[in-house]
Amino acid sequence: MRRELGMFVALVVMCVVLWISNPDFLGQSNTLNTLRQISMLGIFSIGVGFVIITGGIDLSIGSVIGLTGVIIAKLSSPALGGLGYSLWIGIPVALAIALLIGLAQGLLITRLKLQPFIVTLGGMLLIRGISQTVVQGGTISFGDSPFLSLANDGLIHVNGDPLIPYPLIIFLLVIAVGTYVLHFTVFGRYVYAIGGNRDAAEYSGIDVKKVETLTYVISAGLGGVAGVCYASYIGQMSQQVGIAYELYAIAAAVLGGCSLRGGEGTVLGMVVGSAMMRVIDNGINMFQVRYEDATGIPRIWRLNPNWTFIIIGAVILQAVILDQVVHIVQAARRTRRAGASTTGTPPASTGPPPAELPVTPTAKAG
Amino acid sequence: MSATPSSTLLTMSGITKRFPGVIALAGVSLTLNPGEVLALMGENGAGKSTLMKVLGGAYLPDEGEIFIEEKPVVLADVREAKRLGIALIHQELMLARNLDIAANIFLGNEGGGMMNVLRRGEMNAKAASLLDRVGLHLPPTTPVSTLSAGQMQMVEIAKALSMNARIIIMDEPTSSLTAGESEQLFKIIRQLRSEQIGIIYISHRLEEVLNLADRITVLRDGRYVGELARADATHEKIVSMMVGRELSNQYFPLKHEKPLGEPLLVVKDLLVPGAPATASFTAHRGEILGFAGLVGSGRTELMETVFGVTPALAGTMTLEGKRYAPASPRDAIDSGVYLAPEDRKRHGLVLPMSVAENTSLPNVATYSRFGILDRAKERKVADAEVARLRTKTPNILQKVVNLSGGNQQKVVLGKWLAMSPKILILDEPTRGIDVGAKAEIYRHMAALADQGITILMVSSEMEEVIGMSDRVVVMHERRIKGVLLRESLTQQRIATLMTGRTEGNEAA
Repeated sequence: MRRELGMFVALVVMCVVLWISNPDFLGQSNTLNTLRQISMLGIFSIGVGFVIITGGIDLSIGSVIGLTGVIIAKLSSPALGGLGYSLWIGIPVALAIALLIGLAQGLLITRLKLQPFIVTLGGMLLIRGISQTVVQGGTISFGDSPFLSLANDGLIHVNGDPLIPYPLIIFLLVIAVGTYVLHFTVFGRYVYAIGGNRDAAEYSGIDVKKVETLTYVISAGLGGVAGVCYASYIGQMSQQVGIAYELYAIAAAVLGGCSLRGGEGTVLGMVVGSAMMRVIDNGINMFQVRYEDATGIPRIWRLNPNWTFIIIGAVILQAVILDQVVHIVQAARRTRRAGASTTGTPPASTGPPPAELPVTPTAKAG
Repeated sequence: MSATPSSTLLTMSGITKRFPGVIALAGVSLTLNPGEVLALMGENGAGKSTLMKVLGGAYLPDEGEIFIEEKPVVLADVREAKRLGIALIHQELMLARNLDIAANIFLGNEGGGMMNVLRRGEMNAKAASLLDRVGLHLPPTTPVSTLSAGQMQMVEIAKALSMNARIIIMDEPTSSLTAGESEQLFKIIRQLRSEQIGIIYISHRLEEVLNLADRITVLRDGRYVGELARADATHEKIVSMMVGRELSNQYFPLKHEKPLGEPLLVVKDLLVPGAPATASFTAHRGEILGFAGLVGSGRTELMETVFGVTPALAGTMTLEGKRYAPASPRDAIDSGVYLAPEDRKRHGLVLPMSVAENTSLPNVATYSRFGILDRAKERKVADAEVARLRTKTPNILQKVVNLSGGNQQKVVLGKWLAMSPKILILDEPTRGIDVGAKAEIYRHMAALADQGITILMVSSEMEEVIGMSDRVVVMHERRIKGVLLRESLTQQRIATLMTGRTEGNEAA
C-alpha cells in the first residue's frame, strides 16, 4: 500500500498546485471533463491490471477499444456509413466481440504457451487492421444518435451540465466489482498467487490456465466497456481511436503500484494511477504563471504542449526510480540491522569481545 | 518400527515410466506403512524424483499399480493425489512470496468455487492451529517473503497437514536449512510419525537418513536396488547400494604430504559488508584451503568479496605480494582469481548455451580476431577441457542444460582451467552431484592443487572438508573462529568451532 499512498498524496498535491495556479482547474467544466477522462482510462486500466498482476501483459487493449467503437458505429449509426440497427444490437455485439478477442488471446497464451507480449502485439496490429478495414480508412459519424449522451450526459444537471457523468458511474461500478473480485474472492487470490509463483499455484492444484485466460477476458471486456464510452464521447469513429492506449493503461497500473513481474498491485492503486495520468495530461494545459513583463504588461506563462510526453515520461520514470531507491535503502537498513543484531547477541560464556578476531594457536603455526 | 502395521499405507508395484529415449523407471516397487519414515535414496538420475512425481500425480506411469490402504487408485493429476491424502513438498519450496502464511497454506484449497468470497477469518484461525502443530509461532498474516528457509519449510508442512495428508513426501528438505532449523524439522517429522502419518524422505545426506529413517529404499538407474532396515544400515552399505561399488578407498584421493608453498593470497583485516568483524587468512600456493561453517556463517559472502562481487569496506588483500583490491568480478578474473559459485545453474553457467560457448564465456575477447569470434579456437579449447576433465557430453555443442549436475560442474571447472587460474574458489563444489561424479571432482581438485593452483573450497559437508583440505578456516556467524591444520583436523574440533564455541571449551 506504500506506493498507492505515496501516489495519492502526490496526486492531491498536484491538484492543489494546479488549482492555485489556475482556479479554472476545479471549475465545473474542467472538473467534469477530467473526471470523465479519468473514468474512461480507469475502466480499462483495471482490466489490464488483472493481467499485469498475473505477470502477463495486454498490448491489444487500445485496438480493442477502437474496434468496439467502430463496430457500434458500423452497426448502429444512423449517419452515412452506418447500417442503422438498434444500439441494443450494436453495443452487445461489440462487447461480445471484445470478450471473444480476450478469450482467443487468453487461450493462445495459456494452451499453446505463447508469450503474452507476442500474442497481444499480434492482436494489437490485427485488430487495428480490422478497424481500418471496417471504416475503409475514413470515419463513420454517429450523427445525432442518442448514443452520444452516454458519455456526454450524466446525473444532476447544474447550468445545463451534468454533475456526475455516466462514465464516472460506470467507473465506480467497475471499481466496486473489481475490488470485490480481486481482493475478496478465491479467484482474486489465485490471480496474485500466479503472479507471485506460478509453479506454486500449479502445484497447489489451481487451474492456472483457466484463471489466466479469464484475466485476458476481463481485460478485453473492460476494454470493450471503455470503447463504448470513448465512441460516445468522440461521436465519430476512425481507425485512430485508442492508439497507444495500452501504454497509458500500463503506465497507470505501474504508477499505481503494479509490478510488471506480477504479484503486486491493487484496484485502488490503479484508480490513483489512472487519475495521475489524466491530471498530468490536463495539468499541462491548465498550469499557468501570471507575471508582469519589464514594461509592466501582465502576461501569462504556460507549459509548452509539446512537452506533454516529456513530462509524462519523466513522471513515470521518477515514480519507479523513487520506489526502487526506497527498496534499496530499506534492504540496506535491514542488512545493517541484521548485522547489528549479530553483534548484539551476548557472547558465549567464554566468548571474546565483539570486534576481536579469534585466532587459535594452530593458525599461527600455519 | 514394527509396531503392528495394521495395513500398508501405500504400495507402489512395478512402476515403469518411459520418456522419449530413456526409461526413467523400470518396474520399481515401494511400500510405506503408517507412522513410518521411509528414506528414498539414490544418485542423481536414479529415478527418485520421477517416482515421487508419479506419486504426486504429476506423471502417469506407463505400467504398474498403486494401492492406498490396499485399495487400487489411479493418480490422474495433482488434485487427485491431494484428494487421496498425498502431499509433495518440493525441494525448491512452492510458496507465493507475495502472499501471507495463511493464504499459502490454503492456496488451491480455499473452499468453494472461484467466485466464492475468501473466508479470511476462518482460514487464519485454522492456519494458527496448524502453525502451532508445526511449532511455527508466527501470526498467520505474516508475509511469506519475510520468512527464513526453515520457516517456509514449516509452512509447507502446515499446508500438507491442512489437506489431511496421510502421506507426506519431502524432497531434500534440509538442503537450504541451518542446523538449528534442520533439528526443528526432524522434531516435527518425528511428531508426524507418531500421528501415524507416512513420510517419504529424500535426501543425499547420509547422517540425516541414518538418524531419521525407519527403513531405507535405494534406487539406481531407475531400478529398485534394495531395502535396508535402520538397524542394518551403515554409511558404506548405503553408498555401495547407491553406486553399485565400494567407494570407501578411492573416495578421496590420497594426499601426498607436502610442505605448504609460499603465501599466495594474504587477506588482512578484510571487512565484508554486513559482517560484524574483520577477517584475516592466508592461502598458500598449491593448497586446498577449506572453509567450514554452517549455512549463513558468512563463507559465501567472504568469497564474494575476494572475487570482487561485493567489494570490501576495509582491509587489504595481496596476491603474489602485489596489492589486490578487486572492485568487480572482472578485476578478479583479470588477476587470475576465479569463482565457481554455489548455485551453478544461476551464477555459474548460461544453461541454454553450449559447452563450448560456456567455456569461452569469461574470456571471449581472446577467442576473437578483430571482434569476430574464432569458433575453431573456441572448440579446440573446449574439446581439450572436456577431455581433461572427462566431461560426459555427446559433443561440445551440446547445450549445458542437458548435462547432469556433475558434468555441469565440470564445465564450470573447465571454463576456469582454460584460463590458467592462480586461485580457484569453489563454493560447495559437489552440491547436488552424485557420489560417483563427486569422487571424480575430488581427483581433479587434488590434481590442480598439485599443479600449484590454490583452491579455496567452501563446503558444508564435513567429510569433504576433512578429506580434501590442507587447512581449514572455520567460520561462525560471519566471523573466523579459527584455522585448523591438516594433522589436527577432526570432525569434533571443526564442529566445536562451527557452533561458535571456542577451542579448548569442548563440551561433547
